[in-house]
Amino acid sequence: MGKTKDFRLYLAFIALFLIVLPLGNLLGFVSNNTISLWGRYFCFAIVAIGVDLIWGYTGILSMCQAFFFCLGGYSVAMHIVLKGASSAGKDGTLLPDFMVWNQVDSLPIFWVPFQSFGLAMILGLLIPAIFAFVFGYFIFRSRIKGVYMAIITQALALAMWLLFLRNETKLGGTNGLTDFKTLLGLSLSSPNVKLGLYLMSLAGLCGAYVLSKKLVSSKFGKVLQAIRDSESRTSYTAYRILDYKLAIFILAALLAAFAGMLYAPQTGIITPGRMDVRASVEMVMWVALGGRGKLKGAILGALIVNFLYSICTSLFPDYWLFILGFLFVITVLYFDKGFLGMIEMAVEKLGRKSRRIQPVAEKEVIHS
Amino acid sequence: MKHITKMWLGICLCLLIGKEVSGQSDSTGFYVDQVLNPSNDSARSIALHRLAALREPSTFPLLAAINDKKIYLLGNNPVTTGEKEELAGGVEGFTLFYLFPKLEPVLEADGKAKKVTVESLKKVDVSRTDRLSLAPVLPYLNLTNPDAKKRIIAYGQLLTSLDSLKIQILSEALQLEKDKDALTAGKEILFQLKLNEVSLVKDAKAYIDSLDSNWGENVTVILKDYSVSGKVEGAKAYAAKKVEALDELQTRIQKAQNLFSGISLGSILILIALGLAIVYGLAGIINMAHGEFLMIGAYTTFCMQSLFIDILGIKSDLFFLVSLPVSFIVAGLFGLVLERFVIRHLYARPLESLLATWGVSLIMVQLARSIFGDLTAVKAPSFLGGGWQVMPHLILPYNRLFIIGLTIVVVSLTYLMLYRSRLGIQIRAVTQNRNMSACLGVETRTVDAITFFLGSGLAGLAGCAMTLIGNVVPDMGQTYIVDSFLVVVTGGVGKIAGAILSGLGIGFLTKVLESFYEAVYGKVLILALIVIFLQFKPRGLFPDKGRIAED
Repeated sequence: MGKTKDFRLYLAFIALFLIVLPLGNLLGFVSNNTISLWGRYFCFAIVAIGVDLIWGYTGILSMCQAFFFCLGGYSVAMHIVLKGASSAGKDGTLLPDFMVWNQVDSLPIFWVPFQSFGLAMILGLLIPAIFAFVFGYFIFRSRIKGVYMAIITQALALAMWLLFLRNETKLGGTNGLTDFKTLLGLSLSSPNVKLGLYLMSLAGLCGAYVLSKKLVSSKFGKVLQAIRDSESRTSYTAYRILDYKLAIFILAALLAAFAGMLYAPQTGIITPGRMDVRASVEMVMWVALGGRGKLKGAILGALIVNFLYSICTSLFPDYWLFILGFLFVITVLYFDKGFLGMIEMAVEKLGRKSRRIQPVAEKEVIHS
Repeated sequence: MKHITKMWLGICLCLLIGKEVSGQSDSTGFYVDQVLNPSNDSARSIALHRLAALREPSTFPLLAAINDKKIYLLGNNPVTTGEKEELAGGVEGFTLFYLFPKLEPVLEADGKAKKVTVESLKKVDVSRTDRLSLAPVLPYLNLTNPDAKKRIIAYGQLLTSLDSLKIQILSEALQLEKDKDALTAGKEILFQLKLNEVSLVKDAKAYIDSLDSNWGENVTVILKDYSVSGKVEGAKAYAAKKVEALDELQTRIQKAQNLFSGISLGSILILIALGLAIVYGLAGIINMAHGEFLMIGAYTTFCMQSLFIDILGIKSDLFFLVSLPVSFIVAGLFGLVLERFVIRHLYARPLESLLATWGVSLIMVQLARSIFGDLTAVKAPSFLGGGWQVMPHLILPYNRLFIIGLTIVVVSLTYLMLYRSRLGIQIRAVTQNRNMSACLGVETRTVDAITFFLGSGLAGLAGCAMTLIGNVVPDMGQTYIVDSFLVVVTGGVGKIAGAILSGLGIGFLTKVLESFYEAVYGKVLILALIVIFLQFKPRGLFPDKGRIAED
């Protein structure tokens, strides 16, 4: 029963986003802007899956996912900016414009690997993974958890944001990296490339969802949920908590970085503003609003909140923060399970009405 | 025809006499009189030319006023207008200064500064050509400007002047100087000019010593230049030695200054973290909106300022003293409302409370922004302006001292409240074991509400104090919230001593690291240090002991 319901849901999702929207775009009644907007929403949904894995399933509230997201985004952006660079430095290498403005006359050493597309992709995932490994190792080793973890990761996000804001880090400072022209020789402003990136984001989202679904129903996933429900009891049964936490922390960081890599070319700009504390908390809120502990909820939350954001900021820009803040409070206070919980509750109520005549035994089977 | 010849003769005679007795104040007085009440236009021109050529410091205020077209006659004396002030009845009025023979404020018979409207004064009109004739002396005019800062700039401009008389003029101007800072700056220029002229080793050393004991702003730069490219070979090494000694002194003073600003930053962190630590310990609430109570306190101070000055018309610093308790109460009341409608449902669910209060903080920041706009500022009360000069170049600003003092008072009161009062016992009991306290008849809900009121009020008080050192902006709370949470984490949950110690430590370390590295790298290093610290003390400086420590 549940399987077929899920199947119908997937089918509707795929039909809408894989067939209706792209076809509409090709036929001309869905604007390029809409396509690229939804492509970005999918990126956010991928991050949300990562947040859900680490928070909803493992119970670790990490408030620095936006930082990992930006690490991925920056690495792609660095590659694109290098390819689009026009002014030559002292030693003949091409320099991005912002470096010329900041009187940097030769390419900083850490920029060099990003000249190659393959290396940029690998580093975009490797750097966040290493960062998550080192930071996570020290955090989890000293058994920092719960609120402490949230605060420490928040401080990390703050510190890194401040670091990226500086011009000395040679990553564009407050203005970030922008003026993207081509990726692998394809012009990023052409509608077909935009559609391609949209489809890639959709594919990435579906892939991430399927893999995470497999993961949470595997033994590994069960251990994660055991850690969430009682960390001490899990450790008494001889599971190495540190390894599990570290693995899921790295995985969530990788998902965030992957999403960031898809996100940057679609927006055409990446700034430190994407990685401040607020951005990270918002990512957590997508999951909380959608319904934590359910992968579908995370995706739903990310899509709905960002869709709302786009609508509200164009209709009444001054009130968006009121709406968002109000949603935060209401969800946490009254709808613990988020949108998905609300939908399920509604469905269950409707279902109970229509199924009142069914035998009790079958109903119990459904619910268990 | 005969008349004109006579006049010209007279003028020539005047010039001759003027040459004879140049520099004497009698003739200056004569010329000043000529400028103010000329027998005809050309007499004024000639007198002005003479005054410009004489370069008598006592006439500079007068010439400056002429140049600024702000010269008037009060009775028979030349005056100029000072600061604009509002007179009774909403008319614009000005304070007045006598210009000659001495620059001094015009006083009423009762000793108060005289204030008049511009219309009531008789303006002295000096033609543009005449004013242009003052051009050669313009660099000197500011030497006697009533504003000390302008005088300092004027002294500095003499350095590059090519006038051969500048040393003499400067030393005469310095004799009139009363402001301490300006005197130091002026003397520095004077000594530097003289040092560059002397050719004897003994004289050079003497001036280097004078520069050293005068200890102005630029003394190290001057002496360093001299040790490289000075005229007198024998004195160069001496200058270099002095530079070294001065540098060492400077670093020591810098260290003291850093220590001081570290303590003052720490005390703000303590004020914020104190409320946070108590509330978290008591109810397991991570209040991300705590920083917004700081903002509320600051805006309350701003409102009190507007109320007192714009509405009640009380133009004194009273508003700040009233703001201290008022901001405590207003922020506390907001805290009570928040507790009643949001926090109450989230007790002992720290992560959920974190998210919900984050939402609240978004709403509050946006609300403040739509009410007050992006940037407002509170005028610091005048009794907190300036600073305590411990020694030259080491000034501890009163406003920061005030914040430190306020923190000491507040922390002591909080300590007394927690450990010496009935309420304190109840708060500590609920912190340790909520159910047991409830069984023993403690009204836990009331205790929660009161604690939340106190905690928010403390943040409001911190906000009021913050207006002394910064602007009032809607997101001012968010700048401090992460830092103050770090204080709570490092200090240990719900521990006053922990909050104080770690608040001081973090504030101090931030400032010290900032002085070595850039501010940003300081922050990154602090974070790294805290993570390393938590490796050894995962539950902070003062962890709970015994069974309650476990989950």
